[in-house]
Amino acid sequence: MARDKRPVSQRQTWWLLAAALSAFLPLASLLSPWLAVSATAVMLLRGWMTWRQWRLPPKFILVLLTIAATAGVVVEYRTMFGRLPGVALLSAFLALKLLELRGARDAMAVVLLCYFLVLTQFMFTQSIATALMACATVLITTATLAAAADDRPAPAFLLRRAGVLLVQGLPFMLLLFVLFPRVQGPLWGLPQDRTSAVSGLSDNMSPGSIAQLSQSDTIAFRVQFEGKPPPQHTLYWRGPVMPSFDGRSWRVTRFSAVRTVPPFKVSGAKQDYEVTLEPLGKSWVFALDFPDKLPPESAYSEDLQLLSRQPIRARMRYSMSAFPETSVGAGDTPSLIAEALELPRGGNPRTREVAAKWREKYGDNTEAIVAEAENFFLRQLLSYTLNPPLLSEDVIDGFLFDTKRGFCEHFASAFAFALRAAGVPTRIVAGYQGGEINPVDGLLVVRQYDAHAWTEVWLKGRGWVRFDPTAISAPQRIADNFAATAPENDSLPFLARADMAWLRDIRNQMEAATNVWNQWVLGYTPQRQREFLQGLGFKTPDWQEMTAALAALCGLVLLLLTGWILYSRKKLDPAIRQWHKFTARLAKRGVQWHTWEDPLVFAERAASALPAHAENIRGIAHDYANLRYAAPPKNSTADTPLTKLRARIAAFRP
Amino acid sequence: MSAATFRSRMHAQATRLSALADTASLRQRLHLRFVRWALRVRAPEPAPIILGQRRVYTVPTRGGFAYATAMLVILLGAMNYNLNLGYALVFLLAGMGVATILHTFRNLVQLSLRPGRAEPVFVGEIAHFEVVIGNERNELRPNLRMWLFGSDDSDAVEIDAPPGASATAGLLMPTTQRGWLRLPPVTIETTWPLGLVRAWSYAAPDICCLVYPAPAEHAPPLPYGGETAQGATRDGSGRDDFSGLRDHQLADPPRHVAWKAVARQDDGPLLTKLFTGASAQRIWLDWDSLPMGIDTEQCLSILARWMLNAEAAGLSWGVRLPSFRLDPDMGKAQLAAGLRALALFGNSDEMNSNGTR
Amino acid sequence: MQQLPALTALGDVVRSANRVILGKDKAIKLALACLLARGHLLIEDLPGVGKTTLAHVLARLLGLDFQRVQFTSDMLPADIVGVSVFDRDSGSFRFHAGPIFTQVVVADEINRATPKTQSALLEAMEERQVTVEGATRPLPEPFFVIATQNPAHQIGTFPLPESQLDRFLIRIELGYPDPAAERELLAGEDRRSMLATLPACMTPAQLIELQQATRKIHAAPALIDYVQAIAAYTRAAPDWHAGLSPRAALGLLAAARAWALLAGRDHVLPEDVQIVLPGIVEHRLRPVDDRTRLGAGDTPSKLIEAVPLP
Repeated sequence: MARDKRPVSQRQTWWLLAAALSAFLPLASLLSPWLAVSATAVMLLRGWMTWRQWRLPPKFILVLLTIAATAGVVVEYRTMFGRLPGVALLSAFLALKLLELRGARDAMAVVLLCYFLVLTQFMFTQSIATALMACATVLITTATLAAAADDRPAPAFLLRRAGVLLVQGLPFMLLLFVLFPRVQGPLWGLPQDRTSAVSGLSDNMSPGSIAQLSQSDTIAFRVQFEGKPPPQHTLYWRGPVMPSFDGRSWRVTRFSAVRTVPPFKVSGAKQDYEVTLEPLGKSWVFALDFPDKLPPESAYSEDLQLLSRQPIRARMRYSMSAFPETSVGAGDTPSLIAEALELPRGGNPRTREVAAKWREKYGDNTEAIVAEAENFFLRQLLSYTLNPPLLSEDVIDGFLFDTKRGFCEHFASAFAFALRAAGVPTRIVAGYQGGEINPVDGLLVVRQYDAHAWTEVWLKGRGWVRFDPTAISAPQRIADNFAATAPENDSLPFLARADMAWLRDIRNQMEAATNVWNQWVLGYTPQRQREFLQGLGFKTPDWQEMTAALAALCGLVLLLLTGWILYSRKKLDPAIRQWHKFTARLAKRGVQWHTWEDPLVFAERAASALPAHAENIRGIAHDYANLRYAAPPKNSTADTPLTKLRARIAAFRP
Repeated sequence: MSAATFRSRMHAQATRLSALADTASLRQRLHLRFVRWALRVRAPEPAPIILGQRRVYTVPTRGGFAYATAMLVILLGAMNYNLNLGYALVFLLAGMGVATILHTFRNLVQLSLRPGRAEPVFVGEIAHFEVVIGNERNELRPNLRMWLFGSDDSDAVEIDAPPGASATAGLLMPTTQRGWLRLPPVTIETTWPLGLVRAWSYAAPDICCLVYPAPAEHAPPLPYGGETAQGATRDGSGRDDFSGLRDHQLADPPRHVAWKAVARQDDGPLLTKLFTGASAQRIWLDWDSLPMGIDTEQCLSILARWMLNAEAAGLSWGVRLPSFRLDPDMGKAQLAAGLRALALFGNSDEMNSNGTR
Repeated sequence: MQQLPALTALGDVVRSANRVILGKDKAIKLALACLLARGHLLIEDLPGVGKTTLAHVLARLLGLDFQRVQFTSDMLPADIVGVSVFDRDSGSFRFHAGPIFTQVVVADEINRATPKTQSALLEAMEERQVTVEGATRPLPEPFFVIATQNPAHQIGTFPLPESQLDRFLIRIELGYPDPAAERELLAGEDRRSMLATLPACMTPAQLIELQQATRKIHAAPALIDYVQAIAAYTRAAPDWHAGLSPRAALGLLAAARAWALLAGRDHVLPEDVQIVLPGIVEHRLRPVDDRTRLGAGDTPSKLIEAVPLP
């Protein structure tokens, strides 16, 4: 039977089904339910058909099914392009291809589809778990490929063979991974759904928006400090700056990054650290106050938001230094100051009244006004809670005078409003506060529930100074961390609670591993590659140099593998090897030794064909037969029979 | 596959082979040239034929090209979406692809081929050539495929070479004329382990199959001649020694009926005792006694049929051909010698040589 | 190997036998090899070619007793193993030993007897003892059965089943003498009278000694591999209905050892195996197809050529 036309055997069908399932199941939860269910159903049906040895459906049914599946996907997702519709279409094709296994070519198509589905899985998540699952899928699919070539061995044997092949592919993978010249994608426009919402801080803050984040323990970024980490209460990770207030929400007004060099002079003590920022899909690059140099591809806006040029879609790593004692913005433009004083016309009369009193009392002494405001907040006995009561009109009045219960955004918003009403330029800064040191790898992990809002007040001669009104009422929130502060009965992410120590321990371990994974596998960007290769001694790693190194090293690995292949030959009995040499010489003279022929019988035949060498031929055959078949001599002398035979055959020239 | 369809396919293949030289397409002719160049040493080769590294060729299969294309698509996907795991996946699969090239090559390299046996057959029957594939490595070498040059790989024989041992591949070829039939060069290939890469080699083991003339369908009766011994009947039986029983026929003498045997059976047929004479009859199968006016091949066919009939009848027979004579005898050796003489008739060089396969 | 006096006697046996049975050197040696390997012999050929003479000559030359039993369809097991008869004088049963209590038993036309009778003989052959009416009686030592059989395709015979054929170590065909031998046979003196004057060349004790020496012939690992490869090939190849049994493989090795002894060697060569192989396998392997219409006769050569030396 020709190789390509061989029909697919039952065993091979089972293998293909297993591969298809292993490739499809990790993706099933992403698809719309009807698609996932029907694809699974088709695969199960195929299993049943294989078991009962039913015949495959005719071609026109498959064509109809394919059209139906495509139409279904288009109706469901309104498009054929993009990640999800793509995955849906591929899954449908895979399931239908299983119904059309007529020859080796169809089996190959299924296998390649399975490999491709593994890739699509990575478009959604690239965690360690995904990678492990993908490994399993690749192993099964490769074993299926082996089964498609030869289905006789047992499944365990085929899996082992696939494993061996994959392990031998590993050195190439490592080399290519490190040295293959990387291109920063995308190569062409990304389909729309790539920018689906990621939870995190946004460019506006209304009551409840940060409280919502407190439900999420997703990691925002990780920080490695040079030396001892600074105390918790100093860790303000500056993000969006919101100067504009409409009575309810605070908004960012400046989105353009204009200053690639910090518009201030740093001073005081220095703290080095390195941040690995998760792809949050926004442009804010979180940093401590205030850096001397900015990370590449990022710049300051006028109101000192550190912005990346592009929204951050890939994990980003940057090293920075913080100088906490730096003062900034003392010479800011009047327009900026004016913006920090703007208030909506009406609303919150009670707060305005109080603020007007401060203004009357202290005049232009802004620092006294701020102190008075702090006192006022303290006197009001405000309490910090995750579940503040809902407020409708005049939210600031409601918070300060009625409910007196709020989350950080209430505190910040009320504080800023009150100061503005008293004529002090103030703005809201959002970001993260604190974080948690993972004892496993010593990294500070900052999660979404560490999101925080505070205020900055412009003081004449000193510039923008940070005031955190939350700290007035709930100093614990700032000194320890978010989890320690939350009242017992508030709903908290499960693992954020302190009494789940052992679970947190496990989580810490896993997150440390994830960090290594993120740093070295997922974070191996073109930039990282350049740094790494520079570290290895490449001066200016360009693609030519990388390709050359790649070719050389791959060649080396190939050479090693080839050496292994040609070296591991079976050691033949030396006597037999000599005999082959001898018979090969006689074969050149036209006397062919048959593999089944007794040496002595052959010798007689050869001797009669070559009478001139008769004696020698008989002698050699006799020696050989003795060596192979006679009882070994008891006393071995220096001149062993084998060396004798070797010498005789070496001298034999028919 | 039924015997008939198989035979017709084999015939088609034989015609293909002979027609190859003149009516071949450019592609076939190039292939032919490549094989000639690849074999280099003049066919047939002395045994053992070792498939050394320099005569094993490796090229991706159609599946291998599909695999490579899929790798490229995955790579583009990984680049576009900045999927580092996608890079890892495609590099791993590519590395595995490289590893399979080596495995496939290794599965074939250093195999040894030796000529096996080829049973004599009659013209029109399928010649069965055996090639002994020796595997000196202590590992199984699975999925070796072998076929005759000129046929396509749909007629391939598939075998595994067990570790440190040898396996025998049987190659089939139709026969159209008597005499020695030499095995054409063979292709041996493997795509193990993943079917992505094909390693192959050509070899020309030195095997010849002796093809006897086809026994004539309608032959004259055996030429019972003058040397019939006294007292012997035509079928070589006599009256001295009891030699067995057979079904009773009406003409048999009643005293030869085996009454005891009949009595033992309930209602079986009557049996007649047979007796054998001291010596079986001898006949001569003589070239000159053949009817006039038929050509040599037909004569040989008739003689072949006679030999088979004489042997079946238990006669001691001899044969006289122009320039060849075989004294009367019986048994397989006699039959083999007689048929061999017929097969090589007119080819005086080979007629007397013994076993120059 | 040290020169046993029995070994020279063995040479005498071969020479003397060749003087009586002309042109059958190989058959004589095979029969002797069979005897040395403590196996039983089956001769399958037409009547009148000297089966009985061969058996008789061997028995005389080796100094063994000899009994000939003509098998017929009305024969009973008791006719072979013997029977207990009531003795009126002593008032008790006395066992009359059958012809099987002899060192060399020639069982003529064994396929004429009923399966029941055949199996009585074959059981005795296998166990080298006979159980009659509860008493177990050992057979003499050495004990050697030479059975003859007509070509199987005759009516009114009971062909030996394959399982029973396995009990014969070697099967040979004598065939017609070649012309020269036949001429000499016709011209020479009467074989019967020659037989009567044939002197024994050996004692039974010497024969037993030789049988023991046979077992000590060296079989190298390579040779044992070879025998095993042959057996394995018959089991794997599609040409036969069933492969060789382990007993047949053992028999092959034993017979090859005996042949090596006859050739005066202290170790077995593949050649020895190849020479005795036809006699060992022909009656054990049944070809599957009739493609080889030349009969089973080429089974051994096919087998030999199919198995390369390890």
